[in-house]
Amino acid sequence: MTVFPTIFSITEDELNLNDVLSQITLPSTGAACFFTGMVRAKTTRGEPYQTDYLEYEAYAPMAESKMKQIAVEIRERWPSVEGIAMIQRVGRLFPGTPTVMIACTAAHRDTGVFEAAHYGIDRLKQIVPVWKKEMGPDKQKWVEGDYSPQAGE
Amino acid sequence: MSESMNMITLLLFATMRALIGERKMDLEIQPGSHVRDLRAQLSAQYPHAAQALKATLFSINREFATDEALIPDGAEVAIFPQVSGG
Repeated sequence: MTVFPTIFSITEDELNLNDVLSQITLPSTGAACFFTGMVRAKTTRGEPYQTDYLEYEAYAPMAESKMKQIAVEIRERWPSVEGIAMIQRVGRLFPGTPTVMIACTAAHRDTGVFEAAHYGIDRLKQIVPVWKKEMGPDKQKWVEGDYSPQAGE
Repeated sequence: MSESMNMITLLLFATMRALIGERKMDLEIQPGSHVRDLRAQLSAQYPHAAQALKATLFSINREFATDEALIPDGAEVAIFPQVSGG
């Protein structure tokens, strides 16, 4: 039986999307869906503001354990998913820099691989203990989420 | 140190670390303490952080924990705001 690769990490290193893709591509893989987020220099949704850089920190062991849990949740919902990679970069990250990536692979594009990656990033933003501080020309501000996990979630 | 007390490690992140000024501390708690008791204990010890402590999230041994959760002896407890990764 093929063991599907699951990669999860908190890292200070640059994200290498090609390297990750090769790690989750199997002989049976024909589709990959990537989500990556990057630092935005200019925000125009709501009150406009500028960002010089973001300072990320993580509770790394818990974060990696929660990423592993999300991979289990993805496999329960979309059994056709083959490889899963979830990587969050931490430290001081400047505009244009990818900060997070989630990638899922599958044999074909139409068995949930898009939905799986979408679920992965949404879930990461709910339960993976990572925080960021906005550093701008006019202000410094911790960004706070809006989700309170249940016990054991 | 009283022998009847439990010892825990408390980790602090993001706003909670900034407010209390520590990343990690060893704490004595009463045996049988729940998260709500530790919330009260920390609020008494750090009154300037009391408002933030009302809303802070807790984990026990790397799992999210609510006010009703019992804190075992030797636990790794963490306090932090709602997550904002990505």
